[in-house]
Amino acid sequence: MKKFQNRPTRSSVNKRIIFSLVCLVLGFILAYSYSLSSSKKLSGQASSSKYFEQEEQYREDLIHQKERNKELTTELEARQQQVREIEKSLSGSEEQYENLIQEAEDLRLLLGLLPATGKGVKIQLEDAEYNPSSVNPNDYIVHESHVFQVLNELKISGSEAITINGQRLHANSYIKCNGPVITIDGEQFPAPFIIEAIGDPSVLVPSLQLAGGVLDQLVNDNIVVTIEEKSKIEMPAL
Amino acid sequence: MWLPLLGLILGISLGLLTDIQIPSVYENYLSIAVLAALDTLFGGIRAQLQQIYDDKVFVSGFFFNIALAAGLAFLGVHLGVDLYLAAIFAFGVRLFQNIAMIRRIILTKWTDRKGTID
Repeated sequence: MKKFQNRPTRSSVNKRIIFSLVCLVLGFILAYSYSLSSSKKLSGQASSSKYFEQEEQYREDLIHQKERNKELTTELEARQQQVREIEKSLSGSEEQYENLIQEAEDLRLLLGLLPATGKGVKIQLEDAEYNPSSVNPNDYIVHESHVFQVLNELKISGSEAITINGQRLHANSYIKCNGPVITIDGEQFPAPFIIEAIGDPSVLVPSLQLAGGVLDQLVNDNIVVTIEEKSKIEMPAL
Repeated sequence: MWLPLLGLILGISLGLLTDIQIPSVYENYLSIAVLAALDTLFGGIRAQLQQIYDDKVFVSGFFFNIALAAGLAFLGVHLGVDLYLAAIFAFGVRLFQNIAMIRRIILTKWTDRKGTID
């Protein structure tokens, strides 16, 4: 550097200018790189803080959601507890309800409000052949009393629904003797009478065939009785 | 003597005031350019102290080294080879060597002067 301190000559001035240029470039590069790196650091910090903020927010959201989940779980548990209590209280009365429903169903069947299907028996009551030796025709025709006997026996034996010649009987039905025909609820039916009853055939048939029972009495009155077990009988509602 | 200092100050202020944003990919080039410039500067100082200083060598070396370093880094980036590492290594080693040389020369001079005074 001593050279620069010599008295200014032409070459020395040149040198100085060149040196100034070099120093300018150096200073520029240094300063620019410094400012660039510092700004980069700043922006890096900024971006990292931004990420941090975002992360923080996500975390908060997550915590929020978890809390909500927890609340909902507690609520769900409470609700389930309620349901269980209700079920418990219901289970006590459920049996009762079932009985009531069964009873209602039975009653409806008896009233003839429901169409009925099921196993059953079919009983046919026919007038006997004309017997010339008999003077009284009442001796060999079917009377309503015979029908009554059969019906009573069937009802006692637990039949659920009964039809006579397709006419459904209900609790308020009436049967009336009307000469050679019988009237059921205002409808007239001639012999032969086909009585169909839904019920357990293994109960109904033996109950009809009891010794000294309905069947014997009917046969005694010269009535042709045929009893048939049916695996399926369908009856319409009234 | 004041002109180069003025140039330095002017350069620094210019650099600080410049608000040009360059892509981060090219920041490597700049750092290498800085290294090259420093290396050349210290090399010049050493040469001056060793009395083998030459204007042309210094100035051409200054600009050429900067350009070469930046070009090497550029090439390295585009070839997928980290050539800027080579530049950093070379310049770094030379920087340390130059500084060590300068220190020794100054030390020797100081010792000599001390000896003469004593």
